[in-house]
Amino acid sequence: MKRLTLLFCVAAILALAVVGSAYAQKGVFMGTAIRSLENPYHLVWSRGGQAYADSVGGIHVVQTCEGSSEKQLNDIKALIAKAGKNAVFCIDPNEAPNAVPIAKALEAAGVYYVTWWNKPDNIKAWNFPHWVAHIAFDGISTGEFTATELIKSMGGKGKIVAIQGMLANTTAIDRFQGLKNVLAKNPDVELVAQDTGEWDRNKAFDKMKSFLSANPDVGGVWCANDNMALGALEALRAAGLAGKVLVTGADGITEMLNAIDKGEAAATVLNDSFWQGGIGLSLAIAAKTGKINLKTTPKDHRQYYVQAIYINQDNIKKVIAEHVTGTPKYDWNDLYANYLRPMP
Amino acid sequence: MSGQAAAGRRAGFSIRRAGQKALDVISRGVVGQVAALAIVLVIFAAGTEGTYLSLKNILTILSLAGIPMIICLAIHQVVVIGGMDLSTEGVISLCAVISGFLIKNNFTGYNIGFWAVPISMTLGGLTGLVSGLLNTRVKMPSFIATLGMWWAAQGLSVIIGRGNAVKMLDQRFQNITNGDILGIPNLILMAVAIFAILLVIQRMTKLGKYIYAIGGDEQLARQAGIKVDRIKVIVFVITGVIYGLAAILLLSRVASSNPRTGNGQLFPAMTAVAVGGVSLSGGIGGALNALFGALIVTALNNGMVLMKISPYIQSAVNGVVLILAVAVTIDRRKIGIIK
Repeated sequence: MKRLTLLFCVAAILALAVVGSAYAQKGVFMGTAIRSLENPYHLVWSRGGQAYADSVGGIHVVQTCEGSSEKQLNDIKALIAKAGKNAVFCIDPNEAPNAVPIAKALEAAGVYYVTWWNKPDNIKAWNFPHWVAHIAFDGISTGEFTATELIKSMGGKGKIVAIQGMLANTTAIDRFQGLKNVLAKNPDVELVAQDTGEWDRNKAFDKMKSFLSANPDVGGVWCANDNMALGALEALRAAGLAGKVLVTGADGITEMLNAIDKGEAAATVLNDSFWQGGIGLSLAIAAKTGKINLKTTPKDHRQYYVQAIYINQDNIKKVIAEHVTGTPKYDWNDLYANYLRPMP
Repeated sequence: MSGQAAAGRRAGFSIRRAGQKALDVISRGVVGQVAALAIVLVIFAAGTEGTYLSLKNILTILSLAGIPMIICLAIHQVVVIGGMDLSTEGVISLCAVISGFLIKNNFTGYNIGFWAVPISMTLGGLTGLVSGLLNTRVKMPSFIATLGMWWAAQGLSVIIGRGNAVKMLDQRFQNITNGDILGIPNLILMAVAIFAILLVIQRMTKLGKYIYAIGGDEQLARQAGIKVDRIKVIVFVITGVIYGLAAILLLSRVASSNPRTGNGQLFPAMTAVAVGGVSLSGGIGGALNALFGALIVTALNNGMVLMKISPYIQSAVNGVVLILAVAVTIDRRKIGIIK
C-alpha cells in the first residue's frame, strides 16, 4: 500500500514536469545562471534579466546553483541540450575554476555568453570565440570610496574597525585592499581591529559587539558589504552609538540606503545588479545577432571592470528616488556603459 | 503466567536501572567543562592584558552566548535520545521569514505584535513533528530526516521570503532582545529560563527518565514498554518549538529577517553540544552540559576576536575543538562499526 502511494507520488511529479515543459514557447532562450534567489542582490539580478528578455521578447530561464558548481554546470548543459544554438547565457560562475568547464560546454554548443565576477586569472575570455565578455564591478575603488567617506565623517582622524567579507573571496580581498590603500594615505586613522563577518548580518552583529567591548572609543566602522554594515549598526544601536559612529558598506541594498538617509551610515556603492542582469544578456544577444563582432572587438572590451554607483549623504535622496521609489530606465543598447578599466 | 510476571518484573527493574543510570549521568555534571572554561578565561585574560575579563566584556560574552545557548539547548535533546538534528538553520530561517512578515514590517500589512512568538514556536514545533514522524514512522535515520527538513524549510523560506530582507518596524522586539535587567543581558536570562525548564523535565519528570532510557539503550527501553516512538516525537517537537523562539530572537536582534537568518547557527551549536559533554552516541549529558558548552564556545570565539587572531585560524580552532570534544565524549562501547 505504502509502495503504491509512493509510486503514485512519483508518477504525479513526473506528470507535472511533463505538462510544465509541454508549454512550448518561442524565441531565444536567455539563461541567467546565478547563485540563489535567497539574497536581494541575485534576486534583483534575475529581475533585470527578465526586464531585458521582456523588452526583446525572449524566454528568460533563471538557474540557481545554490552554491554547487556541479549543479550550475549541469543546469547550463541541460538548457543547451534543450535549446541548442538558440540560447545565450549571462552567468555568475559559482567559483572561479567553474568558469572553465562552463566555457568549454558553451563553446562546444556554439552558444554566446557573458560571465561576471569569477574566473581564473590565467584564462582569458578573448581566447574563446563565444565568450563575449568577462565583467566585474571594481572592488578596489569601492573599498577606497567607502573608506574615504568614512574617514571624512570622522574628521580625518580616529580609530576604525573593519568587518571583512568571506576571506577567500576576490571581492572581499579587493574591497579590503581599497581600505588599506586609503589608510596608507591617512596616518591619523588607526585600524584597531578587523575580522570576518562572512557577509552575514548576525555574524557582523556578534563581531561588532566584541569589538566594542575592547574598543569603546571607536570612531567608524568599515564593512565589506551592506548586510554586515547593518548588523554592525544594530550592535552600535544596542550600545547607544547609532548615528554617532557611522558605518559603511557596499552593494546598495535598500535598508542601507535608508540608513544613509537617516544619517546612521556614511556611504555605500550600488553594484547595480538589475543592470548587470540585463546588460549581460544584451551583450550576448548582440554577439549572437552580429551587432558586435567578437573577432574585431579589442581585448580591453572582452575583460573589464565597470564602475558601481557611488552613494554618500550628498546624493542619497537622488539615488533613492531613482532606484528605490522609482525603477531606473536603462538603455540596453548602450553595451559598454559604466566602463571603468580593462581587466588584465 | 508466571513467565509474564517475571518478564514484567525484569522490565520494571530495567526501567528503574535505566532511570537510575540516567540520573547518575546527569548529576555527573560538568566538572571538565568548568575546567575548560577556566582555561579559556585564563589564556585570553593573559592574551588581552585583562580586557577579556573586564565586566563589560563578560557581559558582552553573556549576551553573545544567549542565542547559541538556546539553540544548543534545543539540539542537545535530540542528541541525548541518540538522534541527530540538522534541520536547525532551515527551520530557523523559515520561522524568521514568516515572523518577519507577521510583525510590523515594510512588506506586508500585518502587525500582530507579540502573537508572532507563539506562532513562530508552533511553526517550529510542526517542523519538529514532521521530522519526528519521519524518524519514527517512516523509520528514516534522524540525520537524514532532519537534513531533508533543513533543505525543505530553507527552500520554503526562499519561496515565501523571495530573497527580500524584511525590515522589522516594531521596536519593542529589539528593545527586549538587546536590552538588559540590572545590567544582565535579557538574552542570557531567556537562555537560563529555558535551561531551567528543560532541567526540570530531564531530572524530575517521567518524560526525562524515558528520554535517558531511550538514549542509553533504545532496545532495552522498548522491551521495558516505554513508548519510544512517542517520546522521540515529543523531543523533536520541543526542539522545534525552541528553534521557533531562537528565530524570533535572531530576527529582533538585528531588526531584520531574510531566508538566510538561520545560516551559520548549526556548527557552533553542534560544537557546543559536544564541548559541553553531551555524547553524540546518546544517553549522556543534559541541559547543564548544553549551557556550558555554548558558553565555552562563545567565550572562545570572543577571546579570539579580542586577541585579533586571524579569522582563518579561528575557524580551524573551532574545527579542532569539535573533533577533540567528540573524541573525548563519545561512548565507544555503543559503537560496533564505524562508517
